[in-house]
Amino acid sequence: MAAEMMGVDMVTILVDDIELQVPKGELIVESVKRLGIEIPIFCYHPRMKPVGMCRMCLVETGTKQPDGTIRKMPKPQASCTLPASEGLAIYTQTPQIIQDRKGVLEFLLINHPLDCPICDRGGECPLQNNTLFYGPSTSRHIEFKRHAPKAIPLSEHVTLDLERCIQCGRCVRFTEEISGDGQLAFRFRGASMQPSTFALSAFESKFSGNTIEICPVGALTSSQSRFRARPWDLESSAGVCTLCSCGCNVWFDHRIGKLVRVNGRTNNAVNEEWTCDQGKFGHDYYNHNERQASVFIRTSARLESTSWTVGLGEIVTKLKSTGTSAGFLLGPKISNEAGFLACRAATALGSRQVAGIDSRVELGANFEVPADSLLSLEQAKVIVSVGPSLADTLPIVYLRVRKAASQKGAKVISIHSSPTELDEFAFLSLCHKPGTLSLLIQGLDGSLALEEVALQTGVSAQALKEAKTVLEGQGVSFIATNQVAHTEGSAALSDLRRLAKKLEANWNHFCETASGFASLASCSGLGMELQSPESILKKCLSGDIKFLWLVDFDPFELVKDRELVKQALEEVEFLVVQSAIASEASHYASVVLPQSLPAEGGGSFTNLDGQLQNFDAFLPKIGMARADWQIFAELLSRMDLAAGMFSRQDILQMAAKDVPYFKEALTGKQDHQPQPSGAGV
Amino acid sequence: MAERKLLLEHSHETSFRTRAGYEQTGGYEGLKKALGMERQAIIDEVKTSGLRGRGGAGFPTWIKWNGLPKEKKTSHFIICNADEGEPGTFKDKELIEKCPFLLVEGMTIAGVATQADAGYIYIRGEYLDGARSLRSAIDEAYKAGYLGKNIMGSGVNFDLYIHMGAGSYECGEETALMSSLMGERGMPRLKFPHAPLPTISGVFEKPTLINNVETYCCAPFILKNGGEWYATLGASTKNSRGTKIFSVSGHVKKPGNYEIEFGTPLQELLEIAGGMVDGDLKFCVPGGSSVPMIKKAEVERAIIGYEEMSEVRSMVGSGGCMFFNDSTCVVTFTWRTAQFYANESCGKCTPCREGTRWMVQILDRILAGGGNPGDAELLQQVASQIDGRSFCPLGDAAAWPVAAALRVFPEEFAYFIENGSSMVTGAKTLAMAP
Ligand SMILES: Cc1cc2nc3c(=O)[nH]c(=O)nc-3n(C[C@H](O)[C@H](O)[C@H](O)COP(=O)(O)O)c2cc1C
Ligand code: SF4
Ligand code: SF4
Ligand code: FES
Repeated sequence: MAAEMMGVDMVTILVDDIELQVPKGELIVESVKRLGIEIPIFCYHPRMKPVGMCRMCLVETGTKQPDGTIRKMPKPQASCTLPASEGLAIYTQTPQIIQDRKGVLEFLLINHPLDCPICDRGGECPLQNNTLFYGPSTSRHIEFKRHAPKAIPLSEHVTLDLERCIQCGRCVRFTEEISGDGQLAFRFRGASMQPSTFALSAFESKFSGNTIEICPVGALTSSQSRFRARPWDLESSAGVCTLCSCGCNVWFDHRIGKLVRVNGRTNNAVNEEWTCDQGKFGHDYYNHNERQASVFIRTSARLESTSWTVGLGEIVTKLKSTGTSAGFLLGPKISNEAGFLACRAATALGSRQVAGIDSRVELGANFEVPADSLLSLEQAKVIVSVGPSLADTLPIVYLRVRKAASQKGAKVISIHSSPTELDEFAFLSLCHKPGTLSLLIQGLDGSLALEEVALQTGVSAQALKEAKTVLEGQGVSFIATNQVAHTEGSAALSDLRRLAKKLEANWNHFCETASGFASLASCSGLGMELQSPESILKKCLSGDIKFLWLVDFDPFELVKDRELVKQALEEVEFLVVQSAIASEASHYASVVLPQSLPAEGGGSFTNLDGQLQNFDAFLPKIGMARADWQIFAELLSRMDLAAGMFSRQDILQMAAKDVPYFKEALTGKQDHQPQPSGAGV
Repeated sequence: MAERKLLLEHSHETSFRTRAGYEQTGGYEGLKKALGMERQAIIDEVKTSGLRGRGGAGFPTWIKWNGLPKEKKTSHFIICNADEGEPGTFKDKELIEKCPFLLVEGMTIAGVATQADAGYIYIRGEYLDGARSLRSAIDEAYKAGYLGKNIMGSGVNFDLYIHMGAGSYECGEETALMSSLMGERGMPRLKFPHAPLPTISGVFEKPTLINNVETYCCAPFILKNGGEWYATLGASTKNSRGTKIFSVSGHVKKPGNYEIEFGTPLQELLEIAGGMVDGDLKFCVPGGSSVPMIKKAEVERAIIGYEEMSEVRSMVGSGGCMFFNDSTCVVTFTWRTAQFYANESCGKCTPCREGTRWMVQILDRILAGGGNPGDAELLQQVASQIDGRSFCPLGDAAAWPVAAALRVFPEEFAYFIENGSSMVTGAKTLAMAP
């Protein structure tokens, strides 16, 4: 047993007369699982502090006497709060306990509306399940039930059906313990007690969607998918969220080929079981009504629908003449395979012009794998987060940082020029005047007097001094993204990196997009630099680039300088717009290629700490759409630039030959297989 | 036996509420003695006295005092529970209003014994007069060097604060009180063995001692006269020592607080309070509304003492002793009591939150003439589903009076259910509006 090896004290307990060795202090509700025994629960959640509110998990207990007999305690105890101790005896199946469970369930149901037939949770509801297994078959309650509003919009995303609430407090505790925004609390008392926001304001959280999943009844519902499907009509398929670089494992629940909802999927190395609201509610573009469904080609002034053969044929012809001046803009959500093949095409054609959001050219830094993983970050003693809101850019990293601080005592230093969520629990918040980050760093590395730095940056000399002392300790991890460069300039980000190196701290410059890590790794493996989108667009203006391929990259969305985008798209001789949803760029396109989305075409994705995660397709493709990697595989075959790419696996094998990262990822145990659904835990 | 006034001896003298007057009666001699003693000796004195908690549970006081770490590593706190919410109990009110120095001195002694940095007095929000009286006593004590830094030149520091409650009975439960004191919602916390004892991790997660007002008020006498002397009071009982203040109310001629020695027959307490008015004694709730009611025959043989009262299947509790005459409808009484607990349930745990409301609903229906056969059994079962299953003892406190009424007066419930009217008053409508 791992605990034994780590020097944790073990104790012997008796569970239903079976002797069992468990770590001292382990909660009994967990211990019994070692024997395959299950104790029904509602309020207990393994990732939050136990509270013992619902009383569903009662067990009889006793202690072993010196003469070997067991002395039973008069009252049953909640097993979710009871720590294992030497000689503790537990009984989970006695007539008394069976009766007590019936009692608690009867109480929970007397004021429950029993509207299971129209409830979103019906079919996957812990209250239904526990009632079925442990509850009474009828109710003796003939009085009026407690009534409450049926649809309270707590936020844009979450709707509360108060009548169904069993007051377990999971939602309240989530906002206190996990997301840390403390948005929910109980108001009123006794039978009138109800979860609520303070002063009935909106539930403003970046993680509110998780409360829907951990609610053990259908009280917290998704405003988006409410009443859209019964759980048993939904098929759950394992997927990965591609909306940012965190790479949250999720379940895509779909019905008749349509995505209905997204739920968190447990992966302790990535998102544990959480998602951010963006990930949970931001996938409705799958059902966008302007999904690209066919290939278009420009004939005189109009785009006309055509076949893949004609469309790709036109591209191949054009590349043959302008290949050396072809540029590729890689979209934020494209698969590893597509990213690699696009880079491969650029090298094979001899143009070597590839750009993406996570470019680091301006920093003069080559790609550097972050020193920490999401798991190791949790063990850091000091975490320095630099730049705008981490909860916005990398929500899951934010949750880890919060966990490290609140559960493991890590000291967080938050450096920024406008307040962020981290300030709530940060050991130190250094809020500097915009544009003075470089100066602040010079103060921290000792090259400028602190008083001088304080004067210029607006951060007190005292705080700077404290920060300096903390940074000199062990176990320091820095977290930064390109956002630092965007707000404070590339030099500031380079300075920050230098400071981290000087302190021998862990340096984590995380990518922000799902395609970032693999694009950077592919480029560096193929001896190129991933450029910034702006530099490629400028080359379109100067004529260095005559052929531009937007690989699911919407420049009007992703590049700030609209004028530059417009001019570049007008200027460039040939424009390929490959996208899943029709965009403004299509108006300038020479050829439009319909691309499917990951759930439809599959792909592998590498998250910010380098974990390669497979995402297999399960939804039908729209119209003529093809997966991003299929498009490039066919292009390269047609041009005789590469061969033998019949599956994603073939492409990854090919990538492993050129790119060290892929080689490691394929031989290591990077791939996280889907685990069984966590719904209802 | 008659009244035995120890704590309340000078309660009627207004001078007793001033430092000078208090000192004239021997006040602060206990503290002076304590300051000259080893800390352990103070605790041993309390042990010898046999003092048990007056807040309701009767837990040996010295064990709590002894439970705080001897080697002080962090701040220690002591708390006085002056939330007095149990219906029928109003003894702490009189103590803090009329004998504030007893509490201030008693807490200071406890503070010295437990190396506490500060004490908090959590006062029921309605007790404004009591809070004012304490305020002036504390201010005087500070001026005279009995509180604050370097108390009476002993080198000991101890501060005393007052905190007003906001109207929740549950906040008298010790862990809920600590949450409330810390500005959290007034809900109870996990207890041993699920969490460390308050003496290890209590308010602000520091070692904490919590006692009732009356408990602390005994300390000056124990220190002044010695534990052995104190233990001579109540020596006739099995394990109850000292005096106890009973708040006598109900159908008695002279309701009020009466201090008696343990071992006094309950019947005598009734006589001290002037006996019954308008009719004969029907039943008594001897220790606050949560303790089981007993009939006249039991009242006649009951001896006041923690163990002695359990012989008649009831308890000393908090000392809220209510006598009821034969005009009282037990069903209505039970309904009113049940309503109190339903209103005061904090909502944290299922059995108490849902069960107390359900019991009220059933009793409502019975009182409105809608009783069904089986309702008495149902009530009894609902009560037993709460008792011992809830998170904190409020659930038990809600279940006991109902279960006891059903056990002691089953015929009255049966009659009301069958006839739709009270066996006692003949009335159908609610006797007392909430
Ligand atoms: C629901 C509930 C309410 C209580 N209210 C009070 C109270 O108002 N005053 C009090 O002294 N103890 C009250 N108690 C008892 C306290 O929890 C605690 O036992 C007591 O303060 C300990 O002091 P003692 O040892 O001096 O009796 C209450 C207990 C419960 C369960
Ligand atoms: S809304 Fe759901 S999670 Fe929140 S308290 Fe009610 S039942 Fe529990
Ligand atoms: S028994 Fe439960 S609901 Fe009742 S007051 Fe205690 S914790 Fe709150
Ligand atoms: S699961 Fe243990 S009390 Fe709720």
